[in-house]
Amino acid sequence: MRYVAVWAALLVLLAATAGSSYIPMGGWNAFANMAISSLKALLVALFFMQLRHEGALVRLAAVVALVWLALLFGLSWTDYSTRGASHAPWSARP
Amino acid sequence: MATIQFDSAEERRSASLLGMWLFLATEVLFFGPLFFGYLRGRLAVHEAFVSGSHHIHFWLGTANTALLLTSSLTMALAVERAKLGRGVRLMLSLTAALGTAFLCIKAYEYASELGEAASARGGEAMFYFLYFAMTGVHALHLAIGIGLVAWLWLTARRYGERYSMPVEVTGLYWHFVDIVWVFLYPMFYLLERYNA
Repeated sequence: MRYVAVWAALLVLLAATAGSSYIPMGGWNAFANMAISSLKALLVALFFMQLRHEGALVRLAAVVALVWLALLFGLSWTDYSTRGASHAPWSARP
Repeated sequence: MATIQFDSAEERRSASLLGMWLFLATEVLFFGPLFFGYLRGRLAVHEAFVSGSHHIHFWLGTANTALLLTSSLTMALAVERAKLGRGVRLMLSLTAALGTAFLCIKAYEYASELGEAASARGGEAMFYFLYFAMTGVHALHLAIGIGLVAWLWLTARRYGERYSMPVEVTGLYWHFVDIVWVFLYPMFYLLERYNA
């Protein structure tokens, strides 16, 4: 029954995210979408994927995935924001 | 099912689960660059992403999200039933059916969007590239998931109180693919719908 409750919560969140896209909120639309998606992902991970029952090792693996993703996003971001686009000699410049 | 490399069934269980979670961690990094590309593209050519988003089907995407979330419920129930050793096939059938329905709707979407996508230029072409690449890679993962669930269905007799690990790790994979879609859905379908 707990699974059905989680599923119902997921569908409510789906309705919330779909509905919010019809309300003009500027940059907050994207924020609302990502916040709701993160909440849905958390529900799926904690309940359906049993993360709340798992030991330290599995939790660590789950968190490390996100830490690593954040690291690579950060490194790529510094690259893109501190360098201009470079072109191969043979390619046309825009 | 004794294997000499493990001291206990519990140790074997945690090794299998950790292995799957580590695989999923590599999957996060596999999808990562596409998400990064989307972020840069969206910041660079926001308007083109919005107009691209208005060309794809809001209702089909929303229905597909509901289908996939429901398939996660049936997959979680399949894992629960596999441990009990009864009724697992019904839940596996429902999971595979929901996954297949998702892919059929996605195929219909692709067919109706291809013409538009082929003639798109500039920022909108980038939107369509990311849309097809990301949802395509996701669909490939889902197709593999359906294959795994079908294999579980065929071998359902083996699973019970003592041994249900293949169902458990396939469940983890299935839920992960669901989570990826949960993020793809607002990124592609929900851009400034109030202006559409």
